[in-house]
Amino acid sequence: MATVREKGYSHWDGRLTDRRFPWWPITRTGIQLAFKKKTFRFFFAGAFMPAFFALGGLYVSERLEDFKALVRSNQALLHINPNYFKVFLTSSFLLFFIILVLAFAAAGLIADDLKHNSLQLYFSRPIGKKDYLLGKMSVIAFFVLALTSLPWLILVVFKLIFAGSFKFLVDYPWLPLSIIGYSSLLTVFFAFYILLLSALSKNTRYVMILIFATYIFSDALSGILGSIFRTPYMALFSIRANLQQAGAFLFGQKLPVAVPAVWSFAVLAGICLLSAVVLNRKIRGVEVIK
Amino acid sequence: MTSVIAASHLSKWYGNVLGLNDVSLDIDSGITGLLGPNGAGKSTFMKLITGQMKPNIGTVTIHGRGTWNNPALFRNIGFCPEHDAFYEDMTGLEFVTGLLRFFGFSPSEIRDRAARALDIVELTKDKDRLIRGYSRGMRQRVKFAQAIAHDPEIVILDEPLSGLDPLGKRKLIRLIKDFRSEGRTVLVSSHVLPEIEALTSRVVLVHQGKILAQGDVPYIRELIEAHPHQISVRSSDPRALGARFIGDRSIQKMTFGADGRTLIVETHKRDDFFGRLTGVVLEGGIEVEEISSPDDNLQAVFEYLVGK
Amino acid sequence: MSVRGSIREVFGFFFSIGRRTGKTRVFALLGLIPVALAIIVRIVLHGRSGDIAAVFTEILMVFFLQFYIVILALFYGTSVTAEEVEGRTLSYLITRPIPKPAIVLGKYGAYTLLMFVMVAVSLALSFFIMNVARLSQPALYAKFLHYLGVLGLGILAYTAFFTFLGAFLRRAIIVGLIFGIGWENVIQYFPGSTQRFSIVHYLKSLLPYRPMAGGGRGVALLLFRLEPTAPLVAVLALAALAGAFLALACWLFRMKEYLYED
Repeated sequence: MATVREKGYSHWDGRLTDRRFPWWPITRTGIQLAFKKKTFRFFFAGAFMPAFFALGGLYVSERLEDFKALVRSNQALLHINPNYFKVFLTSSFLLFFIILVLAFAAAGLIADDLKHNSLQLYFSRPIGKKDYLLGKMSVIAFFVLALTSLPWLILVVFKLIFAGSFKFLVDYPWLPLSIIGYSSLLTVFFAFYILLLSALSKNTRYVMILIFATYIFSDALSGILGSIFRTPYMALFSIRANLQQAGAFLFGQKLPVAVPAVWSFAVLAGICLLSAVVLNRKIRGVEVIK
Repeated sequence: MTSVIAASHLSKWYGNVLGLNDVSLDIDSGITGLLGPNGAGKSTFMKLITGQMKPNIGTVTIHGRGTWNNPALFRNIGFCPEHDAFYEDMTGLEFVTGLLRFFGFSPSEIRDRAARALDIVELTKDKDRLIRGYSRGMRQRVKFAQAIAHDPEIVILDEPLSGLDPLGKRKLIRLIKDFRSEGRTVLVSSHVLPEIEALTSRVVLVHQGKILAQGDVPYIRELIEAHPHQISVRSSDPRALGARFIGDRSIQKMTFGADGRTLIVETHKRDDFFGRLTGVVLEGGIEVEEISSPDDNLQAVFEYLVGK
Repeated sequence: MSVRGSIREVFGFFFSIGRRTGKTRVFALLGLIPVALAIIVRIVLHGRSGDIAAVFTEILMVFFLQFYIVILALFYGTSVTAEEVEGRTLSYLITRPIPKPAIVLGKYGAYTLLMFVMVAVSLALSFFIMNVARLSQPALYAKFLHYLGVLGLGILAYTAFFTFLGAFLRRAIIVGLIFGIGWENVIQYFPGSTQRFSIVHYLKSLLPYRPMAGGGRGVALLLFRLEPTAPLVAVLALAALAGAFLALACWLFRMKEYLYED
């Protein structure tokens, strides 16, 4: 026996049953709605700052003597000058976080296109390889600049406001250029670095691991070779060390490793060149079946 | 008698989106077509039947046993998924034999079953090639092979004909029909109406998560009493023929075909019209060359039901 | 088919696939880096066997322990579930008459064995190249087996944790990286019992440890301070962690629905 049902508004036709905790969907939805708002997320995260400071205090209290020694030996950190900016902008912590953000946001930029055979779709439009790569690199540029030049240029402004004069800028007029120059260096390098690794696999998970593993392994290798050969030139194997060398040069500060900065620039340029070669081979509008 | 597959008040949400809306359905042996546009709920229903998803509300059983977390059921079920996904580094033979291992067959039985399944889908020649190098049609066929290799009583096929060329479709349709003749239960889904019509006359129409209709196509058509039937009559003088019916109150609408030889009539009382038409022909004077019902097919039925 | 039989078949299936993928070849090649370093060290430090031994313990073992096995376990552990969901091949497995936990356990076993072979080959080559002058000493082989055992336990524990992460989270890699590269390193600087909330603490408790000479004031807080756990307790803790995370992974895999991204 065939039955014909009336098509109508998609209202659920089943019978409602009692919930054990009838208030729970309201609570859950309210929390979810709050987290949908960006401003809320920002303030919510900020609200944890005192807790983090308190946690820091707890840690310091356990190692009070060590910290006193640290402050005594690093009083220079309390002087606001280009070195202050260089220390923070070239810190391993910031570089690690940039890698983390990019692994999350950019690992699939090319990998996903390879996985879904989307390159042919891109190149069937009136865009060329350059446009495609520029578009992808701009994604990376957005995140890197948001984490480097934007906050640190704002901090220069805050310094001027807190000081109530332009003296700081008169003393160090090239500081904003150093910040922009170093941010640009990071942007260009990371754009090539991330896209190189993203183009090597269709699996985004694997690319994320490659991004981290290559970065960290380069550091480990540099350390191992340094302890074997006992020469500072082994630092050139480390991506982090090269970026810090280049940063110190751009801020006009003492180089962290006793190696001319030109070598670090050369290593970074070499990685960018390798990336350009690989990207030129991998990004094409036709699929090659072996 | 319990149905082979039974769904009772089955509902499934994806977050706030209702995927399946209080569906109750019984499927017996033979081929049943599950027809509906993309996003209708066909794949959701198949995933619920094959235990890949758990119903939010309601039950789905196979031979009276629930499908969620019930692996023993799958000894007798073969599933051909919609997605074009494989372990690409395997050959066709390795793929089929590898998946047969999970049934507890002996190695020789695995070899024989795999060979037979690949022979049925005409992939014996290419069995040692990597799946990565297969054409689309070959990939669909090897998917079908893994679904039938263990001789299941029930076969669930989710869009098995998608991406195939006409020759490939014919081959697979023939294979599926052969399966029916062995007394098995086959549930096939598609959004392409002629494919379902080629496979079976027993269909379940799905739209927006609901079952619109189920049964034989002509019978469903008969039940749509709200919508008039369309009858096309080709004759030597369609206008004279039309003039004979103009006063008939059961005729809703009359149009003439672009070829100038066809009269198309919409009527609620099809049998009455045919009776009068026979009389007109017998009275003589107007030759009738062909009579057909353009809307007595699944396409028209579906369009009526979804109001497109 | 019994649960044990199901696990065995899943193990065989994925071991045969896993050993021929491109990624396995890349990871195996990564394991040749310490071998290359071992050769370089032998050439550079020729005749200084004490220095060579120190290089192995303090440098290469750190590479294996805090980098190689973590990266391997992260990739293969999360792949147990994520690979099937991303590749949309999960449908083939869960529509077979095998219990869902058997899929997790079988795949875990296959990938763990694969990783162990890669690590064992790499460790064996680098260790014996570094210690080629002492091959006649039986104690050397005991040491090798000790190191291999520690790395094996590390593989079991890390892979179990990342298998759980992969079953639990959609974006397990990021959390896994933060844990493996971030937490596991940073936690070692924390005082008291905090260190016990890491896997690497128990692994390092099983390795030879040399406390800092003179306390190292002034820079001590920047240095790793191991407060080792007793070896037997460390082994039991690692086994318990592996068992617990695997059990959680099996339970999650059984209860969760895994939807493909469309």
